[in-house]
Amino acid sequence: MVELTAAQLMLHQMVQEFSANEVRPHDMAIDRERSFGSDLYRKLVDTGFLGLMLPEQYGGAGFDAVATAQTIYDLAVGNASVAVTLEGHYKTLDQLLKYGQPSLLDRYLPSATQRIFAFSMTEPSGGSDHSTLGSTAVRQGDHWVLNGNKIMITNGGLAEVYCVLVKTAPTEFSVFLVDQDMPGFKFGKQENFLGLTGTPIGEIFMENVVVPADHLLGKVGQGHEIGDNAHADARVLMGAVAAGIIEHELELAVDYAHQRKSGGQRLTDLQAIQRKIADIALAKETTALLYEEAARHKAKGQPYAEIAAMAKTHGSRQAVRAGDDTLQIYAGYGYSLDYPIEHLIRDARALEIAEGTVEKMRAEITQLEVAQRI
Amino acid sequence: MTKIPEVWIFAEHQQNQIEPTVLQLISKAQAIAPTFKVVAVLLEAPDQQLEQTLAAYGPDQILAVKQSQLEQVADVEQAMILQQLVQARQPNSFLFGATALGRSLAPRLQAKLQTGLTADCLDLYFEDELLVQVKPSYGDNIMCEITCPERRPQMATVRPNTFAAVPVEADQVCQEIEVLTDLTWPKVAHFDILNEQVIPTPPASLAQADRIVALGRGAADPASVATARQLTAALNAQLGVTRPLTDDPQFAVSNQIGQSGQTVAPELLFCCGISGAVQFLTGITQAQTVVAINSDAQAAIFGVADYGFVGDAKAFMTALNHALLAKNA
Amino acid sequence: MKIVVCLKQVPETNQVKLDPVTHNLIRQGLAGRINPFDRHAVQAALDLKAQVGGEVIVLSMGPNDNEYCLREGLAMGADRAILLSARAFAGSDTLATGYTLSQAIRKIGAVDLAFFGRQAVDADTGQVGPIVAEFLGWPQLTLASQLTWTDQGLQGVRRLGALAQTLAVPLPAVVTATRELNDPGYLQPRQIKAGFQQPILTWNEVDLEADPARLGVAGSPTVVRKILAPQTKTVPTQYLNPDPQAAVAELLTALQAKNLL
Repeated sequence: MVELTAAQLMLHQMVQEFSANEVRPHDMAIDRERSFGSDLYRKLVDTGFLGLMLPEQYGGAGFDAVATAQTIYDLAVGNASVAVTLEGHYKTLDQLLKYGQPSLLDRYLPSATQRIFAFSMTEPSGGSDHSTLGSTAVRQGDHWVLNGNKIMITNGGLAEVYCVLVKTAPTEFSVFLVDQDMPGFKFGKQENFLGLTGTPIGEIFMENVVVPADHLLGKVGQGHEIGDNAHADARVLMGAVAAGIIEHELELAVDYAHQRKSGGQRLTDLQAIQRKIADIALAKETTALLYEEAARHKAKGQPYAEIAAMAKTHGSRQAVRAGDDTLQIYAGYGYSLDYPIEHLIRDARALEIAEGTVEKMRAEITQLEVAQRI
Repeated sequence: MTKIPEVWIFAEHQQNQIEPTVLQLISKAQAIAPTFKVVAVLLEAPDQQLEQTLAAYGPDQILAVKQSQLEQVADVEQAMILQQLVQARQPNSFLFGATALGRSLAPRLQAKLQTGLTADCLDLYFEDELLVQVKPSYGDNIMCEITCPERRPQMATVRPNTFAAVPVEADQVCQEIEVLTDLTWPKVAHFDILNEQVIPTPPASLAQADRIVALGRGAADPASVATARQLTAALNAQLGVTRPLTDDPQFAVSNQIGQSGQTVAPELLFCCGISGAVQFLTGITQAQTVVAINSDAQAAIFGVADYGFVGDAKAFMTALNHALLAKNA
Repeated sequence: MKIVVCLKQVPETNQVKLDPVTHNLIRQGLAGRINPFDRHAVQAALDLKAQVGGEVIVLSMGPNDNEYCLREGLAMGADRAILLSARAFAGSDTLATGYTLSQAIRKIGAVDLAFFGRQAVDADTGQVGPIVAEFLGWPQLTLASQLTWTDQGLQGVRRLGALAQTLAVPLPAVVTATRELNDPGYLQPRQIKAGFQQPILTWNEVDLEADPARLGVAGSPTVVRKILAPQTKTVPTQYLNPDPQAAVAELLTALQAKNLL
């Protein structure tokens, strides 16, 4: 495990305890009910999870990227949906902290300890390819007027504040902050996804939503960069979610293989099972090393986009594969809806798509490798 | 002639009943120190006759302080009385039950006497006049042997239900009862008892149960749980579970047996579908008769079982239910 | 009201095993944590302070690493922290620990209440609270499951088996806290950060004006002479007929013979 400072260790111990006592006992119910419920949400807010990485000046705890990623991991060991809801919030705050104007931050960030912020790019016409975007912002005096439709937003419907990527000119993209209370802002439908079912994934509509000029993040035309940056921040944490899912799978696999016997031998004494368990353990460590390294780079102010993409690419595939191995160790029980393994595989599968598909990430990793070497 | 070493046992009582651990300690002390003088030390009100209960377990002597001030007395005052007795008579050892009162009183007395005290012992034995005290640490994961080589008395609190209380034959009943009625002790700050209320032990209390049906992962399905509930009703037993079953909302830690749950001491324990992890076994070491039912003949639970059935737990419980019904009919 | 809460730092896990060769303890994970019962003691002190005002001081004895449990006390909301750390304190049993803590409470001065957890989860003694009470000459309320501040002063409830006693406790006093006393909840991340920004005062044996003969190994009457793995009983198992009906009949006969049914 990554070396933690004493304060980070205390946070880690608290989150582990929270995850074991408040999250894990509801793991299967969260998946089945497609929500982690208002009680657990209230506990997350009241314990101060929303302000974890928000600077002290805004009422947050000001923990760095290493502690934040560790927290996401610890929660994901309990339930991945809970971790992904916080991931969506943290990545949005990261963009506001990096690109937001001070007047906007002073007005909005103190409330980020109490309500969820979301970041939205995807539209019905396309996802990571921004050129197809139909949403627009038009300048009118001191204000901007936004129109459009955003879908598949992590925490869409739960979040109260949204950062949206829109066109400010035919080939110019910018990011604005909109608030659910603004006239013209409406929620759309919820997605009916296969996994991570506890995390709301929703849609918003903007019809002539008028925002003050300081709601523009960064500069006009900086939208691509902010979107890429949001992806990088999200992927550090998605790597942590993957590692958390694999840890959960490893725990289930070892627990069962240790007590179950076949032909008088413990399953852990059988080579075929040993190979699976060793591979799951290896997958967990490699994924953890990647996300921790990405978080460490980010905390030190070093480039982290490529290693973050690696953490998510590697971790998401490993989490699916480790889930498959765990299912096979449990055999019939693994295939049962009464056991948690099937939902871990469905949860893991989402990580190969969300925050950039593995195909897109491989393209990005290749581009960065080429750029460094040629 | 050198004085015969004395082992003292504090005869705690509540509601005019001797705490069962006291009787267990009297029997244990006789077994481990046959040549010593075993003395039960009783502080009671003048109208109480608790020495009768003690005598039946055959201590060599009962030292009873009978005074009206003892109707209601604070721990601190009891510690002062015991200090006077110890300083006057110099016992070799002084044992207490590791009960709420014993664990409050014994360290207070220890500090007055500036001697050693070992908490929550699971075993005791003598090497000549040295008392070896075996106590668990780290949640029963390890055992420590502790001694107090220099100072006397050697003091220990002992976990309830660790030893068996054995009444003695009629000719061995204690005849030597010394009654003190005129002790005085200084007035010190102490708590006042405003109110005492007997709260009946909840029926689900495993720790006191004489019969327990315990379920593990091999008998965790709803049908097995339902069969087990019928069995507990037929046997007038309590239902216990292993740790993994506490994930099920119908079971709480108060139902859990083992290291992180309850330590039990039933006369009869059925372990159904329990493999026998060490964490569980440490909680049942005081069970007198263990019946293990498990489909895995290699399960560790059979290592501690008096009776073993290799096969399906639910089928066995169902058969037992039928047999008990037929027997009672 | 001036309230001291004594904290013990314990290993993060009780999952210790014995090395079969060296008989040394194998501890998994090196991190420490606050003794879980002590959290309830801190919470009780904070609740009382919220009602009557005053100051909550957390106190611990041990090596410098024990700062960590004091930081947790500060994160929960304690006002200040004192660490008793010196080579002379090493090897203390409960008697020497109780003496050392009582000297520190004297030095703090004008203390109204000293809280402890009911026992530490590693050594499980629960002795240090009553020992400190004795050395200070204070009354004690052990295993408090309820605590209220009334016009008449401090009142608490403790359980002696089936008996629940409501007790009036004159101050100054020692109280040991059970889990039933309160729910300390989870540390707030922001409070964790704040707890690490406060200074911690360190005192040694000279600061405490302590009698060297009563400290550490010299002041400890007990000796741990051996560490053992827990024993489980081994009895010859009488295996029953593999047919459930026959097995049950066999078992009932055997149990009736032993007067168990």
